[in-house]
Amino acid sequence: MMTAIFATMFLALLAGWLGRSAIAVGILIVCLALSVWLFLFEIYSPATGFRMPWLQTELGAPAPCAASCAAREA
Amino acid sequence: MLSSPTTSRAFGFLGHLYLLLMLLVIAGVLTAAMVMQYAFGELPCPLCLLQRVALFGVCFAIILSLREDDTARMTGLGLVFSIFLLIVSVRQTLLDIYPRPGHDYIGTAVLGLHMPVWSVLIALALLAGYAVKLIAFGDTQRPHLSSYPALQRAAAVASVYVIVLCAINLGSVVVQCGFDQCHTDSYRMLEKMR
Repeated sequence: MMTAIFATMFLALLAGWLGRSAIAVGILIVCLALSVWLFLFEIYSPATGFRMPWLQTELGAPAPCAASCAAREA
Repeated sequence: MLSSPTTSRAFGFLGHLYLLLMLLVIAGVLTAAMVMQYAFGELPCPLCLLQRVALFGVCFAIILSLREDDTARMTGLGLVFSIFLLIVSVRQTLLDIYPRPGHDYIGTAVLGLHMPVWSVLIALALLAGYAVKLIAFGDTQRPHLSSYPALQRAAAVASVYVIVLCAINLGSVVVQCGFDQCHTDSYRMLEKMR
């Protein structure tokens, strides 16, 4: 995928340099879309996705007391 | 304010020079990243490569702004890629703000700051640069770059340099990643050849 991103960026630069502005912008937008997709993939991929374990983004498991305390209150 | 042709010409020269300087700074940043890769053996990670793509996108917008007069659209494209650079680099800085087991901090510190942090600063500088460009030169009709032959030659050389940098990066990515994901500790194609 990264190869496709750099290939489209190179083609966009080349087309822009050769004066084909409309084609160049079109290819650049494809490149941007692929880049955004890959960025999101890198973030959310369960296999290779990057994590930030020091940031608590979900409610953790209930505290050890929670179950027994709830039962006692009931 | 810009009624005099001389003033308009001088203002146009400054506008084009400003864009050319932005292009040269980004080309310098990309060159430095490649020197770190090839001379110091720092293999770029996927997010690092995406940051390079964002910088090439800003270069694209500047090159077309210099070649044509459609600067408003190109300024928009440049801003989009600057924001993309900011998002990716902030994400990477947050990833590495705290050491992870089995995952050293990516990149060598340059002047006390690691490369993702430099990317954040570069993205902010680009956004500030575009803001200054819009404030100073936004609503004025400038003479075309061809009115300034020396500047046009310099812009052509800088543009070709950026295109060559992108071609080298493309080749490097093919050697590093092949057509697969870029989570590598070495150049994948070279490993296969051994």
